[in-house]
Amino acid sequence: MEKKVLLAEDQPEFGAGLEKALTMEPADVVYAVRDSGIKGRGGAGFPTGVKWNLAGAASSHVKYVLCNADEGEPGTFKDRVLIEKYAERLLEGMAIGGYAIGGSKGIIYLRAEYLYLIPAIEKARTSLKSRGLLGENIRGRGFDFDVDVRSGAGAYVCGEETSLIESLEGKRGEPRNKPPYPVNSGYLNKPTIVNNVETFCAVPHIVLGGPEWYAELGQGDCSGTKLFSISGDVERPGVYELPMGAPLKDLLDLAGTSDMQAVQVGGASGRTIPASEINRKLSFADLPPGGSVIVFNNSVNMVEVLENLMDFFVHESCGQCTPCREGNLRLMHAAQDIISGDITCKDCLTPFFELAEVMKSASKCGLGQTSANCFVDIISNFVELSDECHCGECSCEGGDE
Amino acid sequence: MARNPEVIVQEGIQQYGSGREAIMQLLAKVNAELSWVPEEAIIAIAEATDVSAAEVYSVVSFYSFFSSTPRGRNIVRVCSTISCAMAGQGDVLKALIDEFEIEPFKTTDDGRLTIETTPCIGLCDQAPAMLVNGEPYVKLTPEKACEIVRGLE
Repeated sequence: MEKKVLLAEDQPEFGAGLEKALTMEPADVVYAVRDSGIKGRGGAGFPTGVKWNLAGAASSHVKYVLCNADEGEPGTFKDRVLIEKYAERLLEGMAIGGYAIGGSKGIIYLRAEYLYLIPAIEKARTSLKSRGLLGENIRGRGFDFDVDVRSGAGAYVCGEETSLIESLEGKRGEPRNKPPYPVNSGYLNKPTIVNNVETFCAVPHIVLGGPEWYAELGQGDCSGTKLFSISGDVERPGVYELPMGAPLKDLLDLAGTSDMQAVQVGGASGRTIPASEINRKLSFADLPPGGSVIVFNNSVNMVEVLENLMDFFVHESCGQCTPCREGNLRLMHAAQDIISGDITCKDCLTPFFELAEVMKSASKCGLGQTSANCFVDIISNFVELSDECHCGECSCEGGDE
Repeated sequence: MARNPEVIVQEGIQQYGSGREAIMQLLAKVNAELSWVPEEAIIAIAEATDVSAAEVYSVVSFYSFFSSTPRGRNIVRVCSTISCAMAGQGDVLKALIDEFEIEPFKTTDDGRLTIETTPCIGLCDQAPAMLVNGEPYVKLTPEKACEIVRGLE
């Protein structure tokens, strides 16, 4: 069943959450977000309240509130829908973040593919400004806050928060070494929070409804609701809001599926599971949900899907870490060799599984650490390989012939 | 008549300042107006922001929306990622290639059109999709895509 909060038809007036936050002490706003249990809605799942607490505690007169609107994971479009319809809520959430950590400057890093959304953001900004909810000395609390929009230029890796910061600073979007973390030294070396569009949109609801109310929206150990973008072989593609921790099956029922073979949860860097496992949970502990869910029916050749996804990662690897730069290319070639029939046996693939492990453990950022997931999952779950081949190179029985 | 790249950069500096953090906006401004970033613009940005031209060039080369070689005045980006691929993106792209007689990442001789493929553009619920000069076009068929591109100036 859907549980609509962010997408609810009938929801609190834009700005109501900020009005309430301004009657609280900044630290209490941080504690409300922390106690709600919300984890980053971009996919990495870091507790938002912990991030805000660290940034709030950092000593600096200048702090930044950055919104990661660089939604680039294949199959994800929830942030686009949020910006189209709820840009005021987003700006409100950023302002609450600024008030909570003591920052007066917000920047939305908008992916270049979404530049047509800028008018919606500008309209929301004008509206909140006209009501005195953005600008100087908001509600007489001595709190200044305003938001700029800055655009990316087509680089998936800039969704990684330190790459995003590098890009904003006019550099190549290559991830930084951590520590220091952005909460201590982020944009222009100042304490910085970077949160996803959906996270900021949830914050005003948390402030208004209270942390306990928000936490109880989730199922099991999970907190709150989550937006899912679903596409592929479904009857009703789109964005759905469900309790975090709900079974994947609930989402699939809403979108309508038939003759299902596989589901990819969390995008190309997420997990790809067979249709038999749809009772698994959409949660950080089970199937970590970024925002993308793609359904594949039985007519789809999953190795061709893999080739498409590896091509994506080859294109999007920043090239800084060798395991990621080279590894994605090799995994794509392996997928192509399976399609062409040059690889038919399990032994021939063993080095590629080892490579996947190296990429996971030796890459600096989330891209290289997760891009081999789809290779491992698709090969393990959807490809029938023989026990022997005739390549003459590998150690399988047929190889000696 | 295309404006002098240096003039565009100077105008951008009025808007965005000359700090290093203005580089992306300056490049985006030049790139949006000219469809690419000429060397004169790279040098002007480097001088204004006190960063080496090589480093500004390295930024240009990093981002797929920036180009250091000339492109057409219209840029069509056809999404090639999985949801669009499953919904018939291949046929759309082939129709465009056939009708306009250019391969992806090439420009027509008259400088009117560049066709590119692009990773996921976040329109997977309305696949197949493309961006034409930044504007989204969705639920494409080969005929519909060709008609849209035919209508460009």
